[in-house]
Order: sequence, then structure tokens, then C-alpha cells
Amino acid sequence: MKWFWCLFFAFWPTLTVALCLASPGLGWWFPGEAASPLGQRIDDLFYLILIICTIAFIGTQAGLAYVLFRGAYDTEPEAVTKKAWHSHGSHELEVIWSVIPAIVLLFIAFYQMDVWAEYRVKSAFPRDKMETALKRVNQKRTTKDSLALAEVTARQFEWLIRYPGFNDDGTLKPLMKDPQPTDLYAVNDLHLPASAPVMINLRTMDVQHSFFLPELRIKQDAVPGLTIPIWLEANKQQTYQLLCAELCGWGHYKMKARFVAESDENFIEYLRQLEREQNEDRVDDEPEPSDE
Amino acid sequence: MSPYAQDYLDKVLLTYFGEPTEMVAWDKLPLNMHYAQGTVQDGSGRQLSLELSEPHTAIPEGTEVLWMGGNLAGQPSSWIKTWNEEKHLATLEMPLASNPDEGTPVILGPGEILADGRMLYAEHCQHCHGVTGDGMGPTAPYLNPKPRDYRRGIFKFTTTQSSKKASRHDLKNVIENGVPGTYMPSFKLLTEEESTAITEYVMWLAMRGEVEYQLIRLLGDGYSLEAIADRTEDGSETATEIQNEFLESVNDPDSFPAEVDSIVSRLANDWESSQEEASEVRPLTPRVPYSKESIAKGRALYLKDSLKCAQCHGEAGFGDGSQTLAVSKDEAGQDNVGLGLYDTWGNHVKPRNLHTGIYRGGRRPIDLYSRLYAGIKGTPMPAFSTTLLRRSNPEDPNSEMTDEDIWHLVNYIYSVPFEDVQAGSESQAVDPAPASDDPTENEVAAK
Ligand SMILES: [Cu+2]
Repeated sequence: MKWFWCLFFAFWPTLTVALCLASPGLGWWFPGEAASPLGQRIDDLFYLILIICTIAFIGTQAGLAYVLFRGAYDTEPEAVTKKAWHSHGSHELEVIWSVIPAIVLLFIAFYQMDVWAEYRVKSAFPRDKMETALKRVNQKRTTKDSLALAEVTARQFEWLIRYPGFNDDGTLKPLMKDPQPTDLYAVNDLHLPASAPVMINLRTMDVQHSFFLPELRIKQDAVPGLTIPIWLEANKQQTYQLLCAELCGWGHYKMKARFVAESDENFIEYLRQLEREQNEDRVDDEPEPSDE
Repeated sequence: MSPYAQDYLDKVLLTYFGEPTEMVAWDKLPLNMHYAQGTVQDGSGRQLSLELSEPHTAIPEGTEVLWMGGNLAGQPSSWIKTWNEEKHLATLEMPLASNPDEGTPVILGPGEILADGRMLYAEHCQHCHGVTGDGMGPTAPYLNPKPRDYRRGIFKFTTTQSSKKASRHDLKNVIENGVPGTYMPSFKLLTEEESTAITEYVMWLAMRGEVEYQLIRLLGDGYSLEAIADRTEDGSETATEIQNEFLESVNDPDSFPAEVDSIVSRLANDWESSQEEASEVRPLTPRVPYSKESIAKGRALYLKDSLKCAQCHGEAGFGDGSQTLAVSKDEAGQDNVGLGLYDTWGNHVKPRNLHTGIYRGGRRPIDLYSRLYAGIKGTPMPAFSTTLLRRSNPEDPNSEMTDEDIWHLVNYIYSVPFEDVQAGSESQAVDPAPASDDPTENEVAAK
């Protein structure tokens, strides 16, 4: 029986390590490389913590296995009788296993502050870059206008997206807090310029939802009554998944949408397309009159 | 319904529609249920060259080829191994037993679209709309408004004339964009093939339900339990006599079978003609530009007694008109149980509050135009086209409105969420709301 426990406690860490090694190959891992600069930093942080945990995990498990093995071995009939060594109350050991984890935790705490600051602290907010991006899409705005390019409203069970419309001179209006007659609407199809930090305003119409772009490592709860700005930057011009990460009701699984990061020109063209669709009056395209 | 009448009804449905899980592909229904239909151009060995009626969907590997006539009629099907879309050339899994004549009609993937549609419907739609499309799925009791019951063949938000059914395009539009303000979400991520399959299956359910409904009305006339009780009451007929009479009618090709046939033909025609371009609502005049003047004109029309807008939607557009507190009649001419308005399905409905800016049938001008022009089917929202419209001829004194007037109304409806004045006063100009005065608002991200 004593050998059983020895093997039992050695088996689980071995299995864990094996599974972790196999995971990326089985697709039980991140959905590919992070698709945003911030996402890459978050991944780096994740890997750092993972490495620290792995070392600690393997170290402690190996220690446990060794102790169990010694104990089992030393009690075999043919073993040389040894006097037990009592470690309980050892001051040195207590200090060692308090101080080392404390140092490790402090290191992680300081190291991650940078990443958190970049995402959430005012001085790191990429305002200038964002304004340049807005200038590139030819948006006319005053300093008081929102930096957001779209408002995303979650509702059971879809994402409703509101974009600002165009001025008469062809420039893009700023996004207003309240709906405007010129606004453009879409569902489950968020388009934004790629390769530049852009901002959206997140709201919810009913319960709490969570705006989740797994490839970009962006996740933000939508809270009733609040308008929450989120900024994001997609590296590549491609289509990403947009999911709801909060169990928000029976149709939660249906809350899938796409996020298309595209060139500035395509983004404007997409808004123009929405404008055309929304002003469709079925008269110009086919002049032949219908009979009643 | 008497048991024998119910038996007959079940048999008819089973023959022509099968079960929702095992459908019968019935050629009479105007559905695109196969991947493709066409004729043989040339075929020998494992090669089969086809001429297909366009448009058809993609032909996947393993598609069944069903011989519909010619020398191969009644022969077992063949299966396609590879398909060359450019040349419409199929390589079959097994060589043909004998060469088909040129012009042999074939069906590729018989019923496959309906079968795909059923699977997708079960995955995405069934838990609200129910297995038979009765709108009574397991989640339905928790929803308000209720999921649509397809079985009357009536769909609310269409861009077809008021006498027509929904077009495929309308159904697809609802699947893709959802119905704002209800629990019907958008299924934009479905592929074109998937939403086509769901559309066809929903139309199939609607047709099946409507045939059932019409049959119940036909048979219930003389053979429901109440009707039989009525007929036997005065002793002139006995229950056995009635049953014999029923069985005679069933076996007389000129009686029930003919009626069933005409019900189905009518329904198939209705659906088919609703898909035609002539059934679409098409304004004669382009949209009147959204302006203060147009909005004011629309507002005046809205308040006009003869158009009755305000009677339901309220003078200020809050959906609180006098009709919401009046007693209305149902289809059979009986008073409805509660005050207010009811739809065809017997649900209490509230006229839309125009201030919410939520347009269930879509927010394009053409959508709003269609709502006014053709009404909302199955609801008390009337169609102006049938009563009040002179098509773009203001000289014609016979009715109230022209196409331009509808556009004015559309513009007024669009302006309602943006007006901050109450009923009675003039509409305000629609300026964009000022940006927030709080400069920190833009910097919340930094919190
Ligand atoms: Cu959600």
C-alpha cells in the first residue's frame, strides 16, 4: 500500500505536465498568437507566470514523491534501520518557504503593473495614436467629442452596433452619446480600422454581458447603466471572433459575432455601404413600376 | 374533431408532408428543396454531364442523383464522387448500368435542402418556434412577445403587397438581422446556404401548418364532435350515417380529395406568386428627403382623422391611442376578451411606441414604407394601399394619400425619437445632440 501512495502522488504531476505539453498540439490552447500588441504583452505575462508555476509545481511534486519514496523504502524489511528526523518547528524552513514565495509574488506584482497600466491607466492611454487614426479616416471632431468610432450594445442575444454617419461634405461625424438621425446600424458585424488603436463604447440593453475578443485578449463586461469605453488594436487586417463571455441567458451561445479589422479605406467603404443599404428605397435600382 | 376525420387529416398530412423528422418532398410545393434539378446531356460509364436549371446550390461529394424519367426511371439512384461545377460534369461512384437517354430528368440531392434546413432549425430555432412551427417551443413561455406561430402562413414583417405572403427575401432578412425589440436574434454568421436551408424549411412548416389549418376548417364543418352532436340532436341523422357519409366523401375523388387538392393548389399558388417581383412593394416616387417640411407634413398626416394613426399610436406617438382602451373584435367578429388590440394569433398587442427608435421590421426607409403601404400582416396595422392610396397622383380625388405622403409619414416616424416636444406643437429641427460637456468623458478609458 505504501508503494501505491508513492506512485499515486507521482502519477498526477506527471500526467499534468504531459497534458500541458500536449495541449497546444491538441488545440486546447490560446486561439493562435495574440493579434494585438497588448495581447502579446498579456501572453508574455501569462507565460512568465506559467513558467514560475511550473517550476514550483514540479519542484514541490518531486519533493513530495521523493519523501514518499524514502518513507516507503526506509520501512522495507531489509532496509537499514534509521532514526527519524523531526523537522516540525524548524525556524529556518519556515522562513525559507515564506520568503521565497513572497519574493516571487512581489516580482509578479511589479512586473505585471506595466501591462495593466498600458491597458487601464490614464498616462498610458494611446490618445495621440487614436487621434491620428481618426484623422486618417477623415473624422471631423472637436476635442470634446468622443474618441470612440462605434457604440456596441449587447442585448439578449446579439450585438447591436451603432456607427456615426457622414456629414454632407463626406467626412465622418463624431460618435454621439445619444442616437442621431444620421447614425448607421449593424448587427453582429463590427468593422474597425486595423493596425491602429481604436475605441468603442460598450453598453448593454438588458442583463450583464461580456465583450470578448479572444484573439486580441480583450474581455470587458457590459454593465447595465454604464457606457464603458474599450480601446483595442488589431495587428492584422482579418476577421476575428466576437463572443459573449458571460452566461447571459438561454440564448447565450448564440451571441456570436464577427469583428472585421480592415484598412481605413475599407472601413469607410463599409460605412458607406451601410448608408446605402439603410437608405434603400427600391426606386432607383429598378425603374419598372410594380402593379398592385 | 371526430376520430375518423382526425385519422383522415393525419393521413393527408403524412402523405404529403411526412413528419417534421421525416419529410416527404412533394413536388407540388413551391420550395427549393433539392440541391439542383436538371436533365442529362450525356452519360456513360462513370461520367455524367448535366444541364441544370439555375440557380442551384453547391453540389457536395456524395450527392444522390435521382432518375426522374427516361429509360432509367425507377432504377436505383447513383451517387456523385466528384463534381466539376464549370462543366457541370459528375464523376459517379459506380459506373452506370446503362446509358441514360439525353434529356432524362434528374434531381440532385433530392430533398437535401429541406433536410439540412431541419437540422439547422432544430439547432437554432426549434426551442422557441417549436417542432411544428407552432411557436410553442420550451423557451416560448418565457418570452414576450411570443415567438411566431408559422402555421397560419402569416409573417408580419414583409416587403410584399398586403394580399401576399412573405418573400424568401423577407424571411432571410429576419434570420440575418433578427427582430429588434424581441428575442429573435440575428443569425448573421450563418452561411448563405444555411440561411437558405432554414428559409425553405420554415416555408415548408408554414405550408404544412396552413394545410392542416384549412383541413381542420373543412372537416370541422360537418365532422367535428360538436357538429356531429348538432346533427344527431334532432334525430334526423345517426352517428353511423354521418360516419358513412364521411367515408363516402373520402373515397369520392370529386369530394374531399378534390378539396384537398384545391387547398394545396391555392396555397402553392399564393406562395409562388408572393415570390414574384410584382408582389414586392415598390414606391413610385423616390424617398422624399428628410427635412423639416417633410416631417411637418408627415406629422399633419399622422394626426389626420381619416388615417387613424393616432387612434392606436397616440397623438404623441407613445403607442397609447384610444384604441388601446377600446373593445376590439376578433376575426370571427366576437369581442376580444380584454381591452385593446389583438393579433391574428389571439395575442394582445400594443401599438408601437414610436419614441423608442426600435423598428422591428427593419429600419430602412423601404421597410417603414412597406409597413405603411402593406400593413403588418396578422396585426391590426392596416395597409394604406388597399384603402387610402392614390399612386402618386395628387389629382385623383378619390382617396387620401399619395406615395409622397407615405414618405412624409416615414420621415415623421424617423423624427419622433429625436423630437423633444410633446404632441400638438410643431416638430423641432433635428440637430445632432451636443457632445458631452464633460471633457473627462473621453478619458474614462484611462480610469
Ligand atoms: Cu451575452
